Amino acid sequence: MSDKIINDGGLVIRHDLIELVEHWAIALSGLLLLVTGIFELPMANRYYITSLPGLSWSGDFITSLYIHYAASVVFIAAAVFHLLYHGILGEGGMIPRRGDFKASIEVMKSFFGKGEEPPFHKYLPEQRLAYVGMAFIIAMLILSGLVKTYKNLYAPDMSLTLVLWATWVHNVFFMIFIMAFVSHIGAILLKPNQPMIRGIFTGTVRLDYARHRHPLWIKEMGPVDEVKKEPGPAREVKMEPGPVDEVKEEIGEDPPLPIVSDAAGKEEEQKEKE
Amino acid sequence: MSVDKKTGLNRRAFLKVSTGVAAAGAGLAIPRKGFAAGQKRLATLIDLSRCDGCPGKDIPACVGACKTINRDKIPKIHEPIAEPWPRKTIEDWSRKREVFNRLTPYNFIYVHQAEIDEGGQKRIVFVPRRCMHCDNPACATICPFSANHKYENGAVVIDQELCFGGAKCKTVCPWEIPQRQSGVGIYLHILPSLAGNGVMYKCDLCNDRLEGGKLPGCIEACPQQAMLIGDRKEIYALAEERARAMKGFIYGKKENGGTATLYVSPVSFAALNGTMKKQPGKPDMGPEERRMAKTHKMGKAVLQAPLYGIVVGVAGAFMALSRRKDRVKGGEP
Repeated sequence: MSDKIINDGGLVIRHDLIELVEHWAIALSGLLLLVTGIFELPMANRYYITSLPGLSWSGDFITSLYIHYAASVVFIAAAVFHLLYHGILGEGGMIPRRGDFKASIEVMKSFFGKGEEPPFHKYLPEQRLAYVGMAFIIAMLILSGLVKTYKNLYAPDMSLTLVLWATWVHNVFFMIFIMAFVSHIGAILLKPNQPMIRGIFTGTVRLDYARHRHPLWIKEMGPVDEVKKEPGPAREVKMEPGPVDEVKEEIGEDPPLPIVSDAAGKEEEQKEKE
Repeated sequence: MSVDKKTGLNRRAFLKVSTGVAAAGAGLAIPRKGFAAGQKRLATLIDLSRCDGCPGKDIPACVGACKTINRDKIPKIHEPIAEPWPRKTIEDWSRKREVFNRLTPYNFIYVHQAEIDEGGQKRIVFVPRRCMHCDNPACATICPFSANHKYENGAVVIDQELCFGGAKCKTVCPWEIPQRQSGVGIYLHILPSLAGNGVMYKCDLCNDRLEGGKLPGCIEACPQQAMLIGDRKEIYALAEERARAMKGFIYGKKENGGTATLYVSPVSFAALNGTMKKQPGKPDMGPEERRMAKTHKMGKAVLQAPLYGIVVGVAGAFMALSRRKDRVKGGEP
C-alpha cells in the first residue's frame, strides 16, 4: 500500500502496482474461468457459440478444460498471494468494520437520492462487505476446484459423496460468482462511484474526488506527502479541504487543479514562516 | 493353480460364467459378495475366440439378458418432448426399443459381426460391444453434475436422476458409447427448453447386481462363457495368457488410457476395426488415445498453484517489510 497524494496533477495514489496486478490477474483469469466454465456445462454447441468466429474451440471440452486449468493457475496463485502478502503486511483496509452493514444501506439509499453519504475511508462500507463476500465465493470455488482437479488427475473413483459435494459447491458458487461479478460491474457504473474506475486502471483517483468522498482516507494519510516528478518545478499541495459544496459541483467534471502555489508563492510562504 | 484346458479359465480367479457359481478351486474362488462395489477392483474379459453370436437365437443371449434386466429402467417419456432451444435436437428411442443391432438408450450391448478375409478364407468374428468402463473415464470425471461416476469396483455408472442429457459424456468418449433419450430426467423440472435434453444411458456393468453379489446379466447369460468378470489383476493376467496361447491380440489394455474391459482375439484389432465404420451407436475399435491426458500437465500446475501463491506472497511481503524498515531507518515517513 503506497497511498499518496501526487502534487502534480491533483491525484491520489489509491492502488500500487502490486494491487493493480492482483486485481487484474484475478479479474481476467476469473472471466476466462467463467466463460470456459459455461463451455463445460455444455452450452457452446447448443447455443451455436461454436459458430462464432474464433470460438470454434468452445465446443471441445478438452481444450476448454485446458484453458480453464491455465486460468485457474493464475486465479489461485493470485488469490493466495493476495491473502498472504497483505496479511503479513497488516493491510486490512478492506476488512469490514463495525457498522458497515448499516452504513451500506445508508449509502445505497443515497444513490437513489435519499439522504446524504457519510464521509468514507479509502473504501466504501459496501466495498468492504462485498470484498469479504467475494473472498468467500473465490475460496469456495478454489477449494472445490482443487478437489475436482485432483479427481480428474489421480482419483477418478474418489468417494461419490466428496465428488458430489465438490461439484455442487463449484456449480452453486459459479452461479453466485456470475451474480457477484455483474453486481461489481453494476456498482462501479453508478455515477457516484465512477471516479473510482480510473483508479483500477491507473492506480490513481482525482484528489478533489478523494477529498470530497473519502476525507477519512485523506486524513489517515497524515501530512501532505509530496511526490516530486522529475523533471518539473516543485509544487506543493495544500491539504485544507475546500468547501464541500464547491467540490460537489466539480465531481464528474474535468479534474480541477489542486490548490497549489508556484515557486514564487512558495518563497512568499517561506518568508511568512521566517 | 489349475487352469481349465477348454476354457483357459483360471479357477482361482473367476466365477464360472455359465452357472454363476464360484469356480471350485480348493476354496480359493472369489466369493459372490466379493463383487460388491468398493470391495474389489474388477475387470471383464471378452474372448472373441469363444463368442459365436448365438446362432439360432433371435438376438444374442447377452443382448437379450441386458434388455430384460434394463427393460423398465427408463421412466415413462414426458410427451410431447419439449423442443430444446436454439438447437432443436431431440433423440427419442422410446418407439424403437426393440432395436438390438446398435447402442441405444434401450440397448446397452450389441454384437458386431466382422467378416475377416484371412488369406482368401472368410472368417466371421463376433464382437460384443458395450461401455469399456475406462480406468480414468473422461465421461465421468468431467460430467458437470457428477451424474456419471466411476466406482471403486471399476463400474462407470450414470445416475439417471442427476443427468441432464447434455451428451458431454458421449462427446468425450472415444467410442461415443452413451446414448440419449430425450423427454425424461431432471431437466424437465428446471428449464427444459433452455438447458438439458434428457438422460444419457449406457451399460453400468449391472452395478446393482454386483452389489447384490450377482454377475452382470450379459456375463451370466453367455452360453459360450465368452465373457468373464473377476479381480482386475487376475483378469489382466488371464487375458495375457489367452492371447499368448492363441497367438492373438488384446484390446482395452492401453486404449483410452486403460480400461476395465479386455478383448482377446485371434484376429488383429486393426483387421477387426477395418470391418467397423464408426457411426451413431456403433463404435469402432481404433487405437484410441486418452485425450484428457493432454490436460494433465496443466492440471498438476493447478494443484501446485497455492504453493506458487504462498512462495511469492511470503517473499514479496518480507521484501516489502524490509523496504519499509529501510525507509524508517532513513527517516522517511
